[in-house]
Amino acid sequence: MQAVENAKLRLKDVTKTFIAPRTLKPTVAVSDVTLDIMRGEFVCIVGPSGCGKSTVLNMIAGLEAPSDGTIFMDDRPISGPSAERGVMFQDYALFPWLTVQDNIGFGLRNGTPGHSLSAGEIKDRIEAHIDLVRLRGSEAKYPHQLSGGMRQRVALARLLANGPDVLLMDEPLGALDAQTRLILQSELLRIWGETSPTAQRKTAIFITHDIEEAVFLADRVVVMSRHPGRVRALLDIDLPRPRNEHVRTTQRFGELSEEIWQLIRDEALEAIA
Amino acid sequence: MEKTQTGAKPASRDGDGPANAAPQRPGLPAMLLEIPGVVPALSFAGFVALWWAGAAWNGNSIQLPTPPEVFGALVSLARDGELFTNAGLSLSRLIVSMSIAVLIAVPLGFWMGLSETLRRYVDPTIELLRPISGIAWIPLALFIFGVGGVLPVFIMTYVAFFPLVMNTFAGVRGADPKLVAAARTMGVGRLRITARVVLPSALPTIMVGVRLALAGAWSAIIAAELIGAPTGLGFAIEWYRELLASPKVFAYVGVIAGVGYLADLALQWLQRRLTPWTVGGGLS
Amino acid sequence: MSATAARAAAPARRGARFDPRGLVLPLLALIVWQLWALTLPHDSPAPSPARVIATFIELVRSGDLPSALAMSLGRVIAGFATGLATGVTVGVLMGAFRPVRRVLEPIIESFRPVAPMAILPIAILWFGTGTPAAVSIVGYAAFFPLLVNTVHGVSRVDRKLVQAARTMGVSRPRILAKVVLPAAMPSIMLGARLGMSVAWTAIIAAELAVGSKSGGGNSGGIGSMMFVFYAYSVDLNGIVVCMIVVGVVALLIDQLFRAAEARLLPWRQ
Ligand SMILES: Nc1ncnc2c1ncn2[C@@H]1O[C@H](COP(=O)(O)OP(=O)(O)OP(=O)(O)O)[C@@H](O)[C@H]1O
Ligand SMILES: [Mg+2]
Repeated sequence: MQAVENAKLRLKDVTKTFIAPRTLKPTVAVSDVTLDIMRGEFVCIVGPSGCGKSTVLNMIAGLEAPSDGTIFMDDRPISGPSAERGVMFQDYALFPWLTVQDNIGFGLRNGTPGHSLSAGEIKDRIEAHIDLVRLRGSEAKYPHQLSGGMRQRVALARLLANGPDVLLMDEPLGALDAQTRLILQSELLRIWGETSPTAQRKTAIFITHDIEEAVFLADRVVVMSRHPGRVRALLDIDLPRPRNEHVRTTQRFGELSEEIWQLIRDEALEAIA
Repeated sequence: MEKTQTGAKPASRDGDGPANAAPQRPGLPAMLLEIPGVVPALSFAGFVALWWAGAAWNGNSIQLPTPPEVFGALVSLARDGELFTNAGLSLSRLIVSMSIAVLIAVPLGFWMGLSETLRRYVDPTIELLRPISGIAWIPLALFIFGVGGVLPVFIMTYVAFFPLVMNTFAGVRGADPKLVAAARTMGVGRLRITARVVLPSALPTIMVGVRLALAGAWSAIIAAELIGAPTGLGFAIEWYRELLASPKVFAYVGVIAGVGYLADLALQWLQRRLTPWTVGGGLS
Repeated sequence: MSATAARAAAPARRGARFDPRGLVLPLLALIVWQLWALTLPHDSPAPSPARVIATFIELVRSGDLPSALAMSLGRVIAGFATGLATGVTVGVLMGAFRPVRRVLEPIIESFRPVAPMAILPIAILWFGTGTPAAVSIVGYAAFFPLLVNTVHGVSRVDRKLVQAARTMGVSRPRILAKVVLPAAMPSIMLGARLGMSVAWTAIIAAELAVGSKSGGGNSGGIGSMMFVFYAYSVDLNGIVVCMIVVGVVALLIDQLFRAAEARLLPWRQ
């Protein structure tokens, strides 16, 4: 129906039911999600804890199979993980036995992203990404020697270093202090390709709990609701790009944030009640 | 609504596929495999078949007797009563030495846990002796005790001593200081705290020590009896080896495993009785 | 960086713990032992600290002790290497592939209570009384701790790490080598340390038993040496020397493996 030609990712009636191993009790984590994500689009997913955001992301990554429905990328069904879709996990999933630089270089050295690169090019790419996330000086440290925010930046650098087409990020900035967070939001937009024409941008899916972060980053915000996890609303963020800090003070920014807040407020209150 | 090819849903996912895929209805053979005990039974059957094939191919029943030969030997040894005599002797030596070791090691470990001064005096000596394995004591012990039933008991007691004393000590030291403090604030006296708080919280660790001690002792008894006792399972196995009665050797190997396994099962039962709050408690 | 920290920490901790009170008991035992030995007639075979030291020097000088020790160590290393290769291979397969585990586990579990010494008669039947029998017993003894710990380590690898590697387009075999194996390494190293310690015990037992049962043939090695001292030369001082050497070697092996752990796994907290 819609402009299907430009859809990078298509979720079609996607449902995910988890079956508890012993009791065989089913939990519907995600129910009937249908969503088209355009090539070069930046989509943020917000919603209360446990509404199935991570599950949707894992299915797009190919790490979980939908119990029902199909996910297409470039009109081909996704049948497993691939380096075209890079994932930044909610708990980082850093390799504890590798230093910062080796974590960042893991995919380049062992996976498909590095196949066409020489050792020197790989090295340069690692160095560039250490600088990008401002971890110069800590590149030889092990994950257990880093703070939560530093670990998160390593995970982000590892994702970006692999140069995936689609960026799947699960609360990637959640553990950062407010200042670093703002800096990295802008940085992320630059890496995604905000200043380039849409055709050259990557496709990004970004989960966050922070409504203003979603509004600042996204072309479109997906608001999810719980029990079962469904898409409750889709909002177009019509703020002009490229965006800078100034956009946060505009009236439109406030209106959009308020609208999203209204949508998830009841459930958020319910969740803590 | 457009009916796209939902059949395009990636149907065949190999082992590479995501976990937690939609629950598919397993076929009858797959369902049979889910019944507890079926897979172990099948793998034992496979093992026996392999063994049998190997024995048939080898064709030398002194080197590798066939399963029926070994089973026949087991039956005849059982019918003689010889098997029970030897197993009973080894088992009673095991029980005697475990009892002695528990009576010495547990109080010592307990006291070391409570008194730092005692630990400072005793611990280095224990650490000096521990690397000398029980087996290495056999020649000296042969001089002291001679060939007979005392030697295996001495060796096993020695072997069982270390895991017992160390686990008891660790258990007492590991007793939650908050529990002890809580008991103190309730006006409970020192002795009562030791009996009612420290002992129960150390008990799971002690029980693990008992199981480790038993495994070590049971392993050592074979060596001790094989070299220095005129009776018991270790002696019997070597006796038949010299007579080249291989089926009986293999039968005894099976009995050694069986008795060791049953003894550990008994301890696991005891563990569940004494420390029911440690679910699935412990070893391995 | 943390590697140096880890290496420095261990000796420092041990140094801080030194306490002269720990020497009281061993010294007292030595003195009582020596005094007791002095009350015995001169031709008594009973050991005494002074004679043990003399015997030790003599055994080292004659080269008997070093060559026996080398023989035993060689066998232990060969057997341990066998146990390491088989234990880790089977352990990785069992840990990584559930069907393999389900099939092999019942058999492995039923062999586990079979003490290495119970295998000795079978090893003699198969390999005679020489080095191959000893090596096979050592391998058998080392196999189980290695296997059990490898299975434990591999099956507990964080699923997220494997998933992360898959989203970077890393192939299955490479994931096994670059994610599963390093993640399981602490467990495997622990298994290696335990395996080596039982291997050392097993070689002494095997040499002792072979010496005692194969019609007195000296198969070499320190266990065999002990048996010769017991059965032929009736040299209790020699036996005590061997016991102490066995203990010291066990201690050194343990320290060596701990040092290797600290060095090879600098990333552990
Ligand atoms: N592997 C699993 N097995 C069983 N249930 C699961 C599994 N993974 C997720 N769930 C359930 O699915 C639901 C959605 O989980 P999900 O992790 O996707 O939530 P989320 O929106 O990412 O939450 P949060 O914001 O807290 O990260 C939850 O009810 C969760 O308990
Ligand atoms: Mg989540």
